[in-house]
Amino acid sequence: MNRNRRSISNIACAVLSACAWAATAGAQAPAASAPPAAPAADTAPADFKTLDQEVQGLKKDVIEMNKDLFVLEEELLFPANTQVALYLSMDVGAFFALDSVTVKIDNKEVKNYLYTAREADALLKGGVQQIYIGNLKAGKHELVAFFTGKGPAERDYRRGATVMFEKGVGAKYLELKITDRVAKHQPEFIIKDWE
Amino acid sequence: MRGGFLAGSLVACALLAASSVAAPPTLIGKEAPDFVLKSLAGTNLRLSEYRGQVVLVNFWARWADDSRQEMPALDRINTTYQRAGLVVLGISVDEDPRRAVEFAAPMRLSYPILFDSGSNVGRDYFLEKMPMTILVDRAGIVRYSKAGFKLGDERAYLDQIRELLRE
Repeated sequence: MNRNRRSISNIACAVLSACAWAATAGAQAPAASAPPAAPAADTAPADFKTLDQEVQGLKKDVIEMNKDLFVLEEELLFPANTQVALYLSMDVGAFFALDSVTVKIDNKEVKNYLYTAREADALLKGGVQQIYIGNLKAGKHELVAFFTGKGPAERDYRRGATVMFEKGVGAKYLELKITDRVAKHQPEFIIKDWE
Repeated sequence: MRGGFLAGSLVACALLAASSVAAPPTLIGKEAPDFVLKSLAGTNLRLSEYRGQVVLVNFWARWADDSRQEMPALDRINTTYQRAGLVVLGISVDEDPRRAVEFAAPMRLSYPILFDSGSNVGRDYFLEKMPMTILVDRAGIVRYSKAGFKLGDERAYLDQIRELLRE
């Protein structure tokens, strides 16, 4: 799978290089055929402007192409009928500082993720992370997530959350949510099944 | 005549064998494999978060005698150049992190020590000999790699670091 990702990103790089080469070639071709009579000082800014616009246009095209490749990659590697995607979000997080998450599906570890301070900050600011994407057969499955970090009073904290879910024909989306249970001054870990 | 032919064939075979021996894999010129590891201070550090800075990654082990000489030298480099944009990361490949802590703590190093107990990161970096030092430029590309250490090697590190910091 990583090799496929790499090959797709290589294609994207090749496209980028080709575009950059085309831009350079395009910029050089008229310069070579242009008459040398015109003073350079008058024509240079206009030329640069056109070239800059051209490069900006090509960059935009490459970004578009990259997006299409990404969608294509997702469709090829994780077809909708077997796709399972898992997301993680944090709401408030005053009682829990996230350090790592381990995810098991049907008792098999599929992801172990360590969070840096910057990543945990991004989650606290409302970011949602796609922590795992994979393929599963239709039927019943069990998902277990273990959260480690610092709990209330800076104490080491490790909790698990489990959910049984039914994988149907379409893609399955699940969300690991970390929220604060203010009444108990404790964090709460929920797995939400998005239909 | 026949003997000469045999000798010639043997030389040809030897040359063929030598040319077919695969060169050791190298990361120089390639993007440094990203990693996230737990540090001695308890925080998790990710290599890609230092993009824009020059990063020196030093893989070390308690059992590698040269590490004991190299780490204080790297500490001096870190204290001198960290304000210029250098980041030094020491990665222990010891299986038991507690033993690694016992080894590193008395040195009072100024740079973070990370633990790669499962050697997963080490595999990505093709560790061949310990200690091993890798220099990553501001764009995240591996520019220099050195396996082993002997006193005086730190001068070569400094030359490389200064060059990368100037870029």
